[in-house]
Amino acid sequence: MDRFALLWADIVKLWTKYGASYLNGMGNTLVLALVGTVLGCLIGLICGVLNTIPYSRKDNVVKRFFLKLIRVVIRVYVEVFRGTPMVLQAVFFYYGLPYFTNNAVKFTSIWLVSIVVVSINTGAYMAESVRGGIISIDKGQTEGATAIGMTHWQSMVHVILPQAVRNIIPQIGNNFIINVKDTSVMFIIGFPEFFSAHRAAVGASYLYFPSATVEMVGYLTMTLISSFLLRWVERKMDGSSNYELVQEDQLTLTAGTYTHPDRGTPFDETSKEFEKGKGEN
Amino acid sequence: MGDSLLQVRHLSKSFGSHEVLKDIDFTVDTGEVICIIGSSGSGKSTLLRCINFLEQPTKGEILYHGKNAETEWKRTLYHSKVGMVFQSFNLFSNHNVMENCVLGQMQVLKIKRAEAEKRAIQYLEKVGMAAYRKARPAQLSGGQKQRVAIARALCMEPEILLFDEPTSALDPEMVGEVLSVMQDLASGGMTMLIVTHEMSFARDVASRVLFMDGGVILEDSKPSDLFTAPKMPRTQEFLKRVLSRQL
Ligand SMILES: Nc1ncnc2c1ncn2[C@@H]1O[C@H](COP(=O)(O)OP(=O)(O)OP(=O)(O)O)[C@@H](O)[C@H]1O
Ligand SMILES: [Mg+2]
Repeated sequence: MDRFALLWADIVKLWTKYGASYLNGMGNTLVLALVGTVLGCLIGLICGVLNTIPYSRKDNVVKRFFLKLIRVVIRVYVEVFRGTPMVLQAVFFYYGLPYFTNNAVKFTSIWLVSIVVVSINTGAYMAESVRGGIISIDKGQTEGATAIGMTHWQSMVHVILPQAVRNIIPQIGNNFIINVKDTSVMFIIGFPEFFSAHRAAVGASYLYFPSATVEMVGYLTMTLISSFLLRWVERKMDGSSNYELVQEDQLTLTAGTYTHPDRGTPFDETSKEFEKGKGEN
Repeated sequence: MGDSLLQVRHLSKSFGSHEVLKDIDFTVDTGEVICIIGSSGSGKSTLLRCINFLEQPTKGEILYHGKNAETEWKRTLYHSKVGMVFQSFNLFSNHNVMENCVLGQMQVLKIKRAEAEKRAIQYLEKVGMAAYRKARPAQLSGGQKQRVAIARALCMEPEILLFDEPTSALDPEMVGEVLSVMQDLASGGMTMLIVTHEMSFARDVASRVLFMDGGVILEDSKPSDLFTAPKMPRTQEFLKRVLSRQL
């Protein structure tokens, strides 16, 4: 038990001294994860939509070439950024660009480069999710839209994407939670997120394990709250499971009821209504 | 009957090497109610899907008001004039009944919302679904969904409606409500091309019945003739099989 008492005392000591820095780090982590996820989703959405533009053998060569080119470019983007660690991507963007361009191109803002890296990384994952989300929507939805004259883009915007996005919300949430944790690698380029607060605190106090405990609890708190909020958003998006009948035209409810042919109908020769119907025609 | 509204000329459709439609030729006049019958796999759905270009015909052409539907009509305009009702309803599941009915009007016909809603209510009342305008498709029965789908098609004020087995996905007790709506449309003068397995409906409502078999139209005649004195042996055989079950 005294181990716990000691741990608690160390944590209190750390918190009184570095509390502000921990909190600041948490704030930065959340902002970075949120902005990165939102922008990443946008990138993913754009890629997913570009990836699913239909073309047929009847389209002209230029259009087909561009659509194929787009698919190849997106494929390469997804494979490269999904297949390499974000920590190295950060290094490449932050140190690699000035190295290659002889300092002509470089990020001056640590925030900007971090947001770019997290967004591009998330975008690579989301591109696949969105593509999957779009192609999983029943073909009948597109056909229903086409059959009333809607264009590909109109049906995309009003029918397919809303359903696809709804279906991939769990994956967006998943990506956000991953980003909350994985932005911890951004300390490598000096981004002041939650984990870098730990490094600063430990460097000065040598209270390594107590600080790690603070980090653990901090990250878990952030991700649990996020999970909870995401569930809530999902439920909100599904809308009410009830609907109200619009009362004033209850009367019309009885219009258009008709019994099945098997059970005697206006179409049976034996029925009086059939004779009547024939008279009208 | 009136002028020829839709002409199908030498239409063929192949999926790979499988020729599903073979040189189909027929005309639909304004006000006609044509039922297409035939056994499974004979190409009935494919024919309807080629007529509104959900499938690209391999050969032949479709004339609408005498003009080539593929080259002389703007595709979206053509689609709004030639409505389609599907076996599986295909209502937009992210929208409620009202939105299903106004979306096409606003997007395709560029009608203002207030106007579009007025028109939607009018057609929803016609199919007896106006009270359900706030419900989502998932909250409706099959028969109700199909009636909404018909209202959605009517909202575009089409000149002809194509129906692909509109009652085949329905429980028996819901078939009647949909057929009754279709009968109302027919007596209101709507031009319709209906693929159906409901023989009593075809016999009593259609002005013409086409019998399809193996990708060709084998017989094209008045229902009174086709059902009482089918000319082709294949038709006789089909009717014997189907009518013994249905009537
Ligand atoms: N997309 C497709 N690809 C390949 N073959 C197809 C495709 N759609 C239809 N077919 C084939 O075309 C033939 C005709 O199909 P179709 O759906 O038009 O028949 P149908 O008369 O509507 O039958 P049913 O009464 O069962 O609906 C079938 O042999 C089917 O396998
Ligand atoms: Mg079919």
